Amino acid sequence: MKQTKTKKLILTAILTAAALVAFTIEAAIPPLTPIYGIKLGIANVFTLFTLYAVGKPYAAAVLFLRITLGSIFTGQLVSFIYSLTGGVLSFLLMLLLRRFFPVKQLWVLSALCAVMHNAGQLAAAMLMTSTVQLIYYLPVLIVSGIIAGVFTGLCAQLVLLRMNTEKLILGG
Amino acid sequence: MKNRIWIIIFSVTVLVCTAVWIGLSFFPSPSKIVGIYQNGSLVEKVDLTAQTGERSIELNGDYGKNIISVTHGRIEMKSADCPDKLCVKHGELKSAGSPIVCLPNRIVIKFENQSGSADAEAGALL
Repeated sequence: MKQTKTKKLILTAILTAAALVAFTIEAAIPPLTPIYGIKLGIANVFTLFTLYAVGKPYAAAVLFLRITLGSIFTGQLVSFIYSLTGGVLSFLLMLLLRRFFPVKQLWVLSALCAVMHNAGQLAAAMLMTSTVQLIYYLPVLIVSGIIAGVFTGLCAQLVLLRMNTEKLILGG
Repeated sequence: MKNRIWIIIFSVTVLVCTAVWIGLSFFPSPSKIVGIYQNGSLVEKVDLTAQTGERSIELNGDYGKNIISVTHGRIEMKSADCPDKLCVKHGELKSAGSPIVCLPNRIVIKFENQSGSADAEAGALL
């Protein structure tokens, strides 16, 4: 039992590191569009993977460590508030809906959470700038959330379906 | 089967949102009065039709300086000190549906509601 716990802890650490690398690389790529919040969010593949393979608290650790360390490493503390708001909201939705979506429908959960993440970021931006007009960006952010969410969800789903996650934690 | 339902839901949402977005961003603003906001409060109001020659407006924020350029009928963010420069890439302010936004320095440039300003003028006349 104790051994399992240690294994999960190590696995979480490795996944956090991997998520951080993905996040840093993605941050180095110049934005594709002149609109805030449109990006793939490759790092979320690792959060989703942890959620399904290791467990809820571990996924929370991967997500929030990645956001905090990622903001420090990329030096963009501005985006920290937005990342955190989006992260908290989408993670809450993820926890709520986790039981309704088996691994085969992970892509749906991922898309819903990505939309929630973008909506949360937009809400934070609206509060920070006190500009209600930013709501105009909502349609674009919904579309980009669905596309990015389906993509990252499918990535995590395909890995999970091909991998024996039981063995990863329990086996030698 | 369940997957198919979700695919339909997502496709419809994507189509509707794209349509709304295209409608918003290509519908030119009837108003030519632009408001420049920082931290949510109005810094300056510019009438684009009244502008002759080129004028620069400098704004300082937490993350450096932004320079806004105004010429006749046209306003854009000329330069910014922030890392991503999304506001500069946005280009000219074209429609009410897509304001120029600088999140690091919390600057928003957008068209003002014409009817609102007309009401204000009517109020002033009375």
